[in-house]
Amino acid sequence: MKKKNWKADAYLILVAVTLLISCGKNEEKIAALPEALLEETATGIFPYKKLSTYGFFAGELKTLTPKDEVTFYKPASSLFTDYALKSRFVFIPDGEQAQIMESKIEFPIGSILIKNFYYPEDFRKPDGNRRIIETRLLIREDDGWQAYPYLWNEEQTEALLKVVGAETEIRFIDYSGKDQVVNYIVPNKNQCKSCHNQSETMAPIGVKPQHLNNELDYGTKKENQLAYWSGKKILAGFEGADAHPAMIDYEDQSQAIPARAMAYLDINCAHCHSAEGPASTSGLFLTYDQTDPLKLGINKTPVAAGKGAGSFKFDIVPGKPDESILTHRMNSTEVGVAMPELGRTTVHQEGVELIREWILSLPQ
Amino acid sequence: MRKSIQAVLGVVLASAIFSCGTSTTEQTFDSSKLSKMSREEVEKVVEAFIMAEDSSTIEIPGGFFELNTQLILDNKKSVRIKGAGMDKTVLSFRNLKSGGEGVKIVGNNITVEDLSIEDAPGDGLKAQHSDGVTFRKVNVTWTNGDKSKNGTYAIYPVQCKNVVIDQCIASHSKDAGIYVGQSENIIVKNSLAFGNVAGIEIENSDNAEVFGNTARDNSGGILVFNLPGLPKSDGKGTKIYDNDILNNNHENFATPIGEGPNGNTVTMIPPGSGIILLAAKEVEIFNNRIHNNKTTGVAIASYQVTGFPAEAPNWSPYTTDVYVHDNAYERKALSMPDLTRELGQLVSVHNAYGPAKTQDIIYDGIWDKAISETIDSNPMRVCIQEAGIENLHFTRFYLMEGEDNIESFKDYQHFQNCKINVATDVSAIAAL
Repeated sequence: MKKKNWKADAYLILVAVTLLISCGKNEEKIAALPEALLEETATGIFPYKKLSTYGFFAGELKTLTPKDEVTFYKPASSLFTDYALKSRFVFIPDGEQAQIMESKIEFPIGSILIKNFYYPEDFRKPDGNRRIIETRLLIREDDGWQAYPYLWNEEQTEALLKVVGAETEIRFIDYSGKDQVVNYIVPNKNQCKSCHNQSETMAPIGVKPQHLNNELDYGTKKENQLAYWSGKKILAGFEGADAHPAMIDYEDQSQAIPARAMAYLDINCAHCHSAEGPASTSGLFLTYDQTDPLKLGINKTPVAAGKGAGSFKFDIVPGKPDESILTHRMNSTEVGVAMPELGRTTVHQEGVELIREWILSLPQ
Repeated sequence: MRKSIQAVLGVVLASAIFSCGTSTTEQTFDSSKLSKMSREEVEKVVEAFIMAEDSSTIEIPGGFFELNTQLILDNKKSVRIKGAGMDKTVLSFRNLKSGGEGVKIVGNNITVEDLSIEDAPGDGLKAQHSDGVTFRKVNVTWTNGDKSKNGTYAIYPVQCKNVVIDQCIASHSKDAGIYVGQSENIIVKNSLAFGNVAGIEIENSDNAEVFGNTARDNSGGILVFNLPGLPKSDGKGTKIYDNDILNNNHENFATPIGEGPNGNTVTMIPPGSGIILLAAKEVEIFNNRIHNNKTTGVAIASYQVTGFPAEAPNWSPYTTDVYVHDNAYERKALSMPDLTRELGQLVSVHNAYGPAKTQDIIYDGIWDKAISETIDSNPMRVCIQEAGIENLHFTRFYLMEGEDNIESFKDYQHFQNCKINVATDVSAIAAL
């Protein structure tokens, strides 16, 4: 009898331990990803399981050194994702060209947009040690774009396709020297489309003429990105910088507040909040060229904001950022309140400050 | 003015004594008794949504699934998502840390059935830009004791065509339990909505039939709204019939208790409302049992009562072409209208039957003066034909000269001898 009890106890402990282990965070799982997957050949049938199979980068994968056929790019403004830094590349199949079509760029089948999300150990030394969290690929397939998220291992030697998403804790030292912890959420594959969505078709966000019509430092030289792409023969239809729209960088303090605010809202909100985006339900449209006050949210009541509305009546009350739902939701990290809905678990203080200043400046 | 202050005080006092706000956290079944699924089993479901192929079925076995990511079905055709029963398969989003809704559906001819969705931080089950959406025997709820933490909509098709909601249960949402917005061709039938702020709501939608449902213990039972400034601007054509609209006296928890309304229209709903029409167009309400709603059985209102800006392109703030007939009304003897919301106070203080009298039908009496100088010609075409209307409490208000000049009338006769032909046709989706 006694012996039996002991066995039962041991069994219970075993169960408890198993539960504890299986309840651990995904990050432990990331570290333990099997190396057995490593045999993979580039068949041309996407997606590959391993990021390295695509052969985008020369030398050690984690250096993200692009091969010749892979081109670095950087949109004028960047979507805030918990202070993660991003490096972006585009691959266009040999002999093919992307084509500027008014406000869009059409990419040939087989094109791949590569976006790496990483955190420097110390933001004061952005080129020092870093941890790459994920690499998201947008691949232009026969029937449109498809998104594939790859999760990097702890050793930073490989990233593996992970469609169901993940969660991982990131520690870094911020610009002011303070220790920060971010609970970084890797979206699942279908969540990608919550942002990359134009009329329910998967669509890139940053690779539009207005985001790329600006000068970029390529190391050896500085050049307009669209001009650089044209020179590389991967883009057609560029007719000089003046012939295409150009957005400013919302971080550029030399620009006027309204222009910076609209640039911020465009890159952070307009992928959903536009007539073609998933948040068209709200009637709140935040593209950089929006001029209709009601659509911008000025004295506009919310529709389905739920607790996101806080104790406020209107999306924007001119002159009153502290009574505006827009800033309230930007300033929250509570799921159901926080906007954007994805990609943010911390408050973008600088962004909130910019939008506050802009609302303050609006005529009452 | 002084008289009305005294009346308000009297009513407040009386109501403080008699009518306390009600609240419920009732659950249809106890999901904590279900076996908890392993991480692998949960990920399998996530993957099944992501990898779903056209014309396939995603079967979710019985069990309690704790998700930490959204379930999204993206741009698929003819997919059936099927649980083992609403009291057997529970998808819990209590641990969701990012994302606007628990389950999101985009596609054509999509069915979700036989499962429950719990505790999504935003909306429970959302479908958008979909043609052919059937939700059958789906239960969406929140289990928080503190209802102010609950999500917005339980069942939420928006910008959809051909929507059938059948035998579903929606409870405890901070806005509407069953909310169909900016959609066309809609059936909501044989479903139960309770403990929500709004039970069932049809908003900016065309061609809807709502029948055979029970809406009980919400703040407002069934709502037909048109809100300004939306891509689908003004909806029309709704029939509400054969429903039980009972005891919708739940406190309005769309904002924390004690806090006033915010910009969400639902925060203004006075507890004790059976049916509310707001800027609604072409609505027929018949054969319903409208019982024990402490403020009013039916409210016919124009958007101006919200006090919000009432101008928007292709949209009118007026409620027009309403036909209310052959419903059964009951008022509880000791019930008193709400005092927490302006509309409730209006009814309490200014109704035509004396302070704190529950009403069966109220009409805000706001009309478009461009059409007629007086309301006597019934310019907004509001028709009420109820048997024994002389024994019902019908109040028409006059609100168009400010708060200090509110008047009320029992003059149902002006709205009685007419009939409105509300045309809906959902036969094409009735068999879905």
